[in-house]
Amino acid sequence: MLEAVIGLEIHIEMKTKSKMFSSGPVQYGDETNTNVTVYDLGFPGVLPTVNKGAVINAIRVCHALHMEIDPVLRFDRKNYFYSDLPKGYQITQYFKPIGKNGYLTINTSSGEHKIEIERLHIEEDTAKQLHSYDCTLIDYNRCGTPLIEIVSKPQIHSSEEAMKYIDEIRSIVSFLDVSDGKMEEGSLRCDVNISVHEKGSNEFGTRVEIKNLNSIMNVEKVLDYEFERQCKCLETGEPIIQETRRFDEASKTTQPMRNKTDAVDYKYYPEANILPVKLDEAFIYEAIRTSNELASSKLKRYLESGLSEYDANILISDKDLSNYFDNIVQNGVSYKLSANWLIGDISAVLNKEDISITKFPLSPDQIAEIISLIESGKINNKQGREIFAKILENNTLSITELASEFNKGMISESDELLKIINEVLDENEQSIIDYKAGRDKALGYLMGQVMKKTGGKVNPKDTNSLLLEELKRR
Amino acid sequence: MDYIHLTISELHDAYVAHKVTPLEVVKSIFEEIGDDKDNAFEYLCKQEAISKAEKLKEVQKENLFWGIPYVLKDNFSTKDIPTCASSNILEGYIPVYNATVYQKLEDSDAILIGKATLDELAMGGSGTSGHKGKTYNPYDPSHQYMIGGSSCGSANACASGLVPFAIGSDTGDSVRKPASFAGLVGFKPTWGRISRYGLFPFAPSLDHVAYFTRSVKDAASVLTLLSGHDEHDTTSSTSEVKDYVSLINGDIKGYKVAVIDEVIESMTDSDVISRFNETLKILESLGASIHHVHMDLDLLKAIYPTYNIISCAEATSNNANLDGIKFGLRENGKTYDEIVTNSRTKGFSQLIKRRFVIGGYSLLRENQEDLFIRAQKCRHLIVDKFSEILKEYDVIYLPASPSCAPKFDNASDTLSDEYLICDNYLAYANFGGFPSLTLPIGFKGNLPYGANFTSAIFAEEKVLNISLALENKLGYYNLYAKGEKK
Repeated sequence: MLEAVIGLEIHIEMKTKSKMFSSGPVQYGDETNTNVTVYDLGFPGVLPTVNKGAVINAIRVCHALHMEIDPVLRFDRKNYFYSDLPKGYQITQYFKPIGKNGYLTINTSSGEHKIEIERLHIEEDTAKQLHSYDCTLIDYNRCGTPLIEIVSKPQIHSSEEAMKYIDEIRSIVSFLDVSDGKMEEGSLRCDVNISVHEKGSNEFGTRVEIKNLNSIMNVEKVLDYEFERQCKCLETGEPIIQETRRFDEASKTTQPMRNKTDAVDYKYYPEANILPVKLDEAFIYEAIRTSNELASSKLKRYLESGLSEYDANILISDKDLSNYFDNIVQNGVSYKLSANWLIGDISAVLNKEDISITKFPLSPDQIAEIISLIESGKINNKQGREIFAKILENNTLSITELASEFNKGMISESDELLKIINEVLDENEQSIIDYKAGRDKALGYLMGQVMKKTGGKVNPKDTNSLLLEELKRR
Repeated sequence: MDYIHLTISELHDAYVAHKVTPLEVVKSIFEEIGDDKDNAFEYLCKQEAISKAEKLKEVQKENLFWGIPYVLKDNFSTKDIPTCASSNILEGYIPVYNATVYQKLEDSDAILIGKATLDELAMGGSGTSGHKGKTYNPYDPSHQYMIGGSSCGSANACASGLVPFAIGSDTGDSVRKPASFAGLVGFKPTWGRISRYGLFPFAPSLDHVAYFTRSVKDAASVLTLLSGHDEHDTTSSTSEVKDYVSLINGDIKGYKVAVIDEVIESMTDSDVISRFNETLKILESLGASIHHVHMDLDLLKAIYPTYNIISCAEATSNNANLDGIKFGLRENGKTYDEIVTNSRTKGFSQLIKRRFVIGGYSLLRENQEDLFIRAQKCRHLIVDKFSEILKEYDVIYLPASPSCAPKFDNASDTLSDEYLICDNYLAYANFGGFPSLTLPIGFKGNLPYGANFTSAIFAEEKVLNISLALENKLGYYNLYAKGEKK
């Protein structure tokens, strides 16, 4: 049986304040050619200064990918002429990447797979080119943006695994706040290489590379198409050429771009303008210690705190959603209730308004306040929802005040409540007998009767405990 | 009185004594430059200098550099002042930011007289390869003898007495060799002692900011001004900047001076050798001890090819930004590739292209192990050997050139030991980043020649101190071409 052998190279743009080697700001979507310094344009005499924040980010990702971290940070030059590269070289880490020998565990329909990762290195991005029919426009804003490149070993065997792998990387960089990880905005870019061989064989087929895939769907399409194409080549005896191909979105096929003989020799050599930087243990430890919690760790915590797998997975599918959730439960309210509110009522609002959780007007603390009132029995769920709706309309209202309005006219004197409870008990002797016989339904019925008599103007929690006490006496 | 041929400290004293004003000095400098018949300048900052001098009214006693005129080699970035590194590829380029060195001098109210010629992009040692042609040696009005390079214009301006100091750059010996041919003090401090920010790179692992003065004390003063850590150059050292002038007094009792016999033996000029030997006697008479040490000939002969491979390899990369797209010369072309190819074809001279080809070739995947990496290993061996010597001895002392300035048409014999060793050995100080100073020790006819002191890294005061001792004894203080000794 033929099997695909796939390796992925993922480039991730970091969302640091400034660029990898210059003070130019990093801000996606700003006016073209405004976030540019003399360094970014490669003016004669400029020198690079290493962005510490970017190095900390890289360390955190290395740690999340279980990599060995090189204690000495070193950079190299990759030399080539291209219109998106104003200096004529790119500073990267070729000889000594900051991270090596890591792995990532993914879950697919065929079970759990461990994908080994060869290396992770830091480099600077090139300028962005906009090709028009008669000219090429260059936006140097992107030039110099910090990148990390993560290179997997060729241990991926299907498009499903590839997609899961990319998704897992996306989740890691997103939860660590290293990157937006958005393929459609180019902050996560993927090159794939794929060959085909007989499953179990030690011999590998000829490798084909497809560069710059801009969506996870395209990764799937490309890999499925290439696998089919290469299998067909093997069947018909047509040679597979070692080459770089590009994905043609219109025809959903891959087309040859350049073959191996055109391959550029990048003449790598060590960057002399940056001395090797010793990353001491304390620095590395601190970067890791202060890093955000990963989705995998959150998942574990959520499950341990009693969330269903379904709810927990919804929460960790979105970093901002899970952060919002964590900020609610940080107030000491129940995980379960908080998840219900977030996945239920709040998500409904988000869907209706078509906004993300970061744009949601109510703070996690406000939500926690409502939940806490419900938990303490001061209001019920229905009242909680009413308060939620009211403050959504007018965020200046006080939740406590709204809650106390519900409480107006409430029977709070326990003498009065006791009187009513005893009336109900006197009227329902059969229910008392049923309760004593262990039929829990009877308790619910009695509660219902109390509520009916009081018009619901009692605190259910207090009523419940009083009722239980009185039942004991009978 | 003649005020333009003074040293920095003499001119400063004259300002303090109100004998002369910066404006008077600047005006007479431009008169003296005239039409720049020696081709020392790429650009004269006449208006800028005069308007700056006009503003300098109250002399600052504590600021030695107040109103002091100087020149910069034209490979330092100077905002709003055209800078082309004597290459057509940078025709019309006007930098938008200041090199740290220039900024420090500006902040000290020193006055920039002009941007000095160089061998194209600082690559070369003859002072002949700039796009405007040869730069001449002011000691030879007949224009037959070279001044050396690549900092030829800076050397000329200082040696003709136009300015008391001139900034250059030194990647192999580009200040220390012309200093020998121009009778100047030429000093290249430790790599990282002075920020390189804004110096157009040739080969960053070897590039140094360096400079010419006409006295050792001035060299110490300039060092104190220009040294220090710069946030724009992370390779610049954070080690303490010293008041070097106060640290030197010419007392060299107990100094251990190493002379490498193989370098002397490679020389053929008996006049220079005997003069050099006389200076050894002088040093001994001052209390220093002379030690003849030996070095593997192969190692010495390897300095030049090692330098060639490393510097050319780095140069190809560092000049890849000169593509005709963003600044400088732009030739026509339908595509990016065409513009780059046409601009670089037209913009660089044959000599530069040759270096790029050598550099690119030595970095190719199939050649890297044999050439570039081997050169790096060689560099390590050479540095280790010299460091070993500098651990045991305070300084290494040797002639700075095989003789005085050669004639333009006397191409060096590349196969001779003299060429391979004595004419090119100074690059060892670039390999190791050692502080290294050339100073005049004698004349052949009208033409001066010098010797060189080099010490372990960050031991600048040793180099300066022993140089001061010899300068005092030889009397070659404030040499300049017109009228020679003052």
